[in-house]
Amino acid sequence: MAAKRKLGSGKRKLLIAIGMVLVLGALGGGFTWYKFFREEPQPDWITKDPDMRFKYGSIGAEREAGMPYWIFYVLPRMFPEKLPKPGGWAAFGVSWEQGQELPIGFTKMVVGFPRVANNCASCHAARYRTSLEENPTFVGSGPGHTLYLVGLFRFFVDCAKDPRFNADNMMREIRLVTNLSWIDRMIYRFILIPVTKKRLLEREAQFAWIYRRDLPDWGRGRDDAMNLTKYFLLKLPMDDSTGPTDMPPIWNLKKYDREGTTMNLAGDSHDAYSVIIDSALGVIGAAPKRKEEFLEQVKWLQQYLRAKEPPKFPFPINGKLAAAGKNVFDANCATCHASDKTGKRMPLEAVGTDPERIRTWNKDNAIAANKVVRGFGIERKGLVEAPLEGYNPPFLDGVWLRAPYLHNGSVPSLRDLLTAPEKRPKVFWRGYDLYDPVSMGFVSQGAEAQRVGTRHDTSERAAGNQGHLFGTNLPPGNKDALIEYLKTR
Amino acid sequence: MTEPTRSTTGKRSWLARLAQKRWGTWLVALLILPTLGLIALLIYGALLMMEDEPVVYANIEEHFKYGSTGGERESGFPYWIFQALPRVCAIHLPGPGYASLGMVFEEGKDLPVGMSRRRYQGVDRTFLNCAVCHASTVRDSPAARPRLYLGMPAHTFNVWAFQKFLFECAKDPKSSAEYVVPEIDRLMREKGERLGPVDRYLIYPVAVALVRERLLMLRGRFEPLMPYPEWGPGRVDTFNAAKVLFNFPLGALAEAEKNAPSDFPSIWLQQPRKGKQLHWDGNNTVVEERNKSAAFGTGTTPPTIDLQAIGRIEKWLLTAEPPKYPYPVGKVARGAAIYERYCISCHGASGRDFSGELVGKVTPIKDIGTDRRRLDSYTYDLAVNQSMLYAGYPWRFQHFRKTFGYANMPLDGIWLRAPYLHNGSVPSLRDLLEPSAQRPKIFFRGNDVYDPKKVGFVSNLAAQGWRSFFRFDTAVPGNSNVGHEGKPYGTELPPPDKDALVEYLKTF
Repeated sequence: MAAKRKLGSGKRKLLIAIGMVLVLGALGGGFTWYKFFREEPQPDWITKDPDMRFKYGSIGAEREAGMPYWIFYVLPRMFPEKLPKPGGWAAFGVSWEQGQELPIGFTKMVVGFPRVANNCASCHAARYRTSLEENPTFVGSGPGHTLYLVGLFRFFVDCAKDPRFNADNMMREIRLVTNLSWIDRMIYRFILIPVTKKRLLEREAQFAWIYRRDLPDWGRGRDDAMNLTKYFLLKLPMDDSTGPTDMPPIWNLKKYDREGTTMNLAGDSHDAYSVIIDSALGVIGAAPKRKEEFLEQVKWLQQYLRAKEPPKFPFPINGKLAAAGKNVFDANCATCHASDKTGKRMPLEAVGTDPERIRTWNKDNAIAANKVVRGFGIERKGLVEAPLEGYNPPFLDGVWLRAPYLHNGSVPSLRDLLTAPEKRPKVFWRGYDLYDPVSMGFVSQGAEAQRVGTRHDTSERAAGNQGHLFGTNLPPGNKDALIEYLKTR
Repeated sequence: MTEPTRSTTGKRSWLARLAQKRWGTWLVALLILPTLGLIALLIYGALLMMEDEPVVYANIEEHFKYGSTGGERESGFPYWIFQALPRVCAIHLPGPGYASLGMVFEEGKDLPVGMSRRRYQGVDRTFLNCAVCHASTVRDSPAARPRLYLGMPAHTFNVWAFQKFLFECAKDPKSSAEYVVPEIDRLMREKGERLGPVDRYLIYPVAVALVRERLLMLRGRFEPLMPYPEWGPGRVDTFNAAKVLFNFPLGALAEAEKNAPSDFPSIWLQQPRKGKQLHWDGNNTVVEERNKSAAFGTGTTPPTIDLQAIGRIEKWLLTAEPPKYPYPVGKVARGAAIYERYCISCHGASGRDFSGELVGKVTPIKDIGTDRRRLDSYTYDLAVNQSMLYAGYPWRFQHFRKTFGYANMPLDGIWLRAPYLHNGSVPSLRDLLEPSAQRPKIFFRGNDVYDPKKVGFVSNLAAQGWRSFFRFDTAVPGNSNVGHEGKPYGTELPPPDKDALVEYLKTF
């Protein structure tokens, strides 16, 4: 009896101990889940409005690539000397609507704690002004011609490398802007700040090529897209190629429905679905945690962008002149830009534009990238596994907002593009948002353009403005008419 | 164990020996007492750290003059250090004490109007509140006693010189603890108080070092603005100061943005201003947001602002009326008719009724034609950065907008709002009705003697008694007195009509 009871009480003790361990474990697990992994949906004003969703909606990048909100908040205040000019995040030429907490393309979501990440709109939103005495208009899905992406990449790494990026300094700055609970202060001090610093420093090696002095700066509105894929997705060693190109508009994607069209500048990808997947993977920076959710997101983006109309030209158009210009267009441009050939690769010799972009990518890269994405369990037509010696003549919808022109943005305006290459501007400034309706392009010379923009020197590698001689020999009157017509596209 | 015998002690370990009653008592004494002392110290320290007691005034006007906005918590000067600075750094002041910077002292007060006191984390601290820029004085004659008016622009307070004094003092070796602490001791003795040893040897030496460090940091941030022309009394470069909040490197700003001093405004009658474009350039339409923005100037931060204390002022200002014109007013019928014809659509039906199709709306810069520096100092990039302010709070800023002109202001209490135009470049209302070519090119700001004839402050004297005034040169960039002129602005009216209009405006 006594022995039995003893045994029973021993068992009970064990059970109590196990129970306590379980309860403690559950509490600890619950705490960890709540503080680091709990996900709160974004507010309705973002998720319920398609345009807002495109501009501010999460595509799931917060989980892997999200920066703790308060670190993001104080970085430009702590390291203003590393910004390209005064102005906080605005210094990078982001499209930032007045009254909005974050710029377009920057998403805020709670994953355990509020985090900031990016979506497609960070590179695919355009801004323009029709006069100096006017606030900018923003076009979601437009080309991010003002965004200084390479500067932004360098800023993050440079901040992390600075010894002032430490918990003491950062907590002092955070204390000036918000009142965190003791627990959250401890989490920031001992986990988020050191981990963020470490993660940013890890990028330094992958970003080594954007620090190279022998390669040209991307400047505003451009990125070295294929090299980003090579060094981040494929983790290939750095080579000597360079090919910064314009951020493209991604409106009206239904035009690519036609059989045989390919996407990206050299026709590198089979279809819009693949391009959206690959680009979104680049933003997320890792295999998507929830594949189904990710693909749903991609499908929503595709459907939204298929239907998104290009913006209308925001100045008056001379209808008569434009009508005359249509004839010029039909006779000189339509063969490539409004025909079966549009969106299909044209040999490099035929167009004659700068070849460096093509050398940043090859068939093996395409095979490897497709393999990686398949490895994520994602099925798509994917990248074209073939040598790609040429560029796709683009569709010209919303062509007025696609300045500067050519794939590498080496020609500031349409009027300059209709000029012989040797007479096109050799040096100009890109990234200023004031539009010039006469030459059709952004103002690219003068004090303000220089202050706001980055210098584009066509003698630099990958920056050449040669080629595309089409239309350069037209009589001046025909050029005027053609330009007027292009305002209607 | 409780009664060990002597004979066995030799075999015991030192630990056991320590446990003996005699040793044990000593051990307890040795360990427990300091522990208790430490705990007491920690509790004392914790209590000190939890101290957060503003000086409270039940009367709203006293609260406005001397109440806290919460600014002392983050930005406050220890009270005694603040009082000692004019003594150790007298060389950096234009005259005796803070009064020489145009701050207003009421009789029997040891802090000027516009400074509050709060005991915070063990130290009495003081800092600015709303009244320092929005209250001032008027004298009927050089011999008369100054009358204090709340809510009017602090036209005598030279915030530029105040800032410069603090920065220069921080740089001066005289602001080290070696000089400051004995001065505090002396000040306290004068008041019959004593500086305790903890304060003398611990608190104040540390506090002095912290105050200097903070001032030198601010000095570094403001330095790029210091070579620009002095603002003079009654003016501040509002939105370049705001850029300091974001730590924008001021030196790298575009030249057109820099140097944009503008007048402190009056702050009466906020209720009828709701929804109108506020600030000189009309960059915000929400009174409460504008107020919180202005409160940054009183040293507040989102976590430390005292919303309850500010709320009292906010509520009071909704209906606070400007003081009546205290001098005789002549016939006004003729002036009223002219006002109705020329001014009413932009400036409102009367000094209390702000209705009018263009009141509180922005007139484009090319139409109003006044100095554009203040407009250009407020940039789109600043506006979007401001929408990050108060992030995480329900009242995050959402209404700042870049504009391209100046807002049409209601004219309540206009007689107290001299000098005129946003940059205070025209000394009187009568001068404003002249074309800019005939307006005074050089005049003096900061005199509080009133000139009822021209409606404005006396502006032709460089000095009067112990007071000296600021020479305002309209040729200096940012000080231009052009604009608000031409036929629609009344500058082409015959002189008797101008006189009549000025007479009528006295009733506002």
